[in-house]
Amino acid sequence: MAGVYIYSDKTDIAQEIIGFARAAGKEAILLTLSEKDAQALQNSGADKIYVIDGKSELIENYSKAIADLLTKANAEFFAVGATPRGRDLAARVAGYLDCAMVSDVSSIEYSGQNLQCVRMMYGGAVQQNEVLSGLSVVTVSAGKFETVKGEAAIQTLELEADTRVTVVETAPVVKVGVDLGKADKVVCVGMALDKVEDLQIARDLAEAVGAELGCTRSIAEERHWLPVESYIGISGAVIKPRLYMSMGVSGQIQHVYGIRDAQLIVAIDINEKAPIFKAADYGIVGDLYEVVPLLTEALKK
Amino acid sequence: MSQVIACYKWVVDEADIRINTDLTVDLSKAKGKISDYDKNAIEAAVQAAASLNGKAIGLTFGTAEAKPSLKDALSRGLDEAWYINDQQAGQADGAGTARALAAAIKRMPDVSLIICAEGASDTYARQTAPRIGALLDLPVVTSAGKIEISGNTLTAVRILDDCLQTVKVELPAVIAVLPEINPAPIPGLKAVLAAGKKPVTELKTQDLGIDLAPKTSVTEFKGYIMNRKNIIFNEGQTADKVNALATALRKEGVL
Repeated sequence: MAGVYIYSDKTDIAQEIIGFARAAGKEAILLTLSEKDAQALQNSGADKIYVIDGKSELIENYSKAIADLLTKANAEFFAVGATPRGRDLAARVAGYLDCAMVSDVSSIEYSGQNLQCVRMMYGGAVQQNEVLSGLSVVTVSAGKFETVKGEAAIQTLELEADTRVTVVETAPVVKVGVDLGKADKVVCVGMALDKVEDLQIARDLAEAVGAELGCTRSIAEERHWLPVESYIGISGAVIKPRLYMSMGVSGQIQHVYGIRDAQLIVAIDINEKAPIFKAADYGIVGDLYEVVPLLTEALKK
Repeated sequence: MSQVIACYKWVVDEADIRINTDLTVDLSKAKGKISDYDKNAIEAAVQAAASLNGKAIGLTFGTAEAKPSLKDALSRGLDEAWYINDQQAGQADGAGTARALAAAIKRMPDVSLIICAEGASDTYARQTAPRIGALLDLPVVTSAGKIEISGNTLTAVRILDDCLQTVKVELPAVIAVLPEINPAPIPGLKAVLAAGKKPVTELKTQDLGIDLAPKTSVTEFKGYIMNRKNIIFNEGQTADKVNALATALRKEGVL
């Protein structure tokens, strides 16, 4: 069956990609390893849902089989949710097909038979537009497309797994921090903070406005002041709060990538040339040790 | 002797990129650097080679401008470096890059492990490790936050968005490591001096017999400017600046 083949271990992204394919007038064929996900997505507008049945619990282990399936089915393209598992699967399928792939597209649309993709480069400083033709692969994150309704036929699909990588153990992620991706407000600390005890002034501000506390990569990875889940940036949390307030954050572009979708960005830093001010809606140039306690008091009122 | 390959990329330092007012991108002042997370991949390869009693080899695919990367990479503890030097590297896409790297790896004897970072700091496309795995039909483990090698078995802890997943695989294999895997120490002076004496093998893509024509076509490359208000309170007393900000935030209705 030709059409758009879809995989995501996150059902919300799968649902959105189905919506994209249907809006473009394409057949939407969803692949999943989970009977439960198949049930959950049954009324999301896909033409067909294949539940993969094979000897591995890892979707990545079906890369070669999926590449063969896409070729045999004369698939138009393979769209995958941009999660760690999804990116791995997508790039391996692209490798077996030796075909084009565009990773983490920020937008994608059909122009005739070609796909126009936009993605960010250099941590968000540069935008690159690429055109794909023929069987190719993209990964896409949540929040890009409208979902649709419509019942799908669910069918089991036997695929051969590559069983060279096996799971020994699965443990829940010990979330010491919070899920910043879902936070409504975020206060973020950067390297201008002198001592770990000084996190208290950030915590006080966060409490005053009902925000979660986040940080830059160096605070988590080098100084270990906050858990790894707390760092915001291209390799960490990508957040979309209504309000983001940074203190002592210089605004390296890897960090700014993680806050691009914040509704309002506020920066406090002593260095008026800090790049964070270019990314900010509002800013105060000043010593965070003077500014932040006063701001906390002002916002409490 | 068992060989551990660290793939790395010489990239433009994004901190030096200037966006002109017409949104064209000015890379003329930009210096090169080893992609940030590739330094962690190199260190992981050095450690893996030590536990396998083997050699750690750096492998890069770049233009003539990538030459200074060799000394930097070798100062990080690698035993030797392979350099695929081709002007087309500047335009290569994920498919071409993986093809070049895989073709060079095929020429190396006794490769037991290929280590890449998850993504490069310019593209952050996260394709290279899985694509190399597919092209060489080797098993792949991505998102590795920790690796351990015992005999011929590698155990990795993958940091996924919803769980920590411990997997194992028999070598040879391709591993993509996260920056969390190690602190990637800054090389000392002695290591920098020693790097100049280490062997470098230079390859041309015509010797490798591969086609580098990109499979995607880039139609536009332009600066991205966030549309922000940029209202910065810079003058006057701290208290006044704070009050101005507090008033603005109340008006915005985000509190």
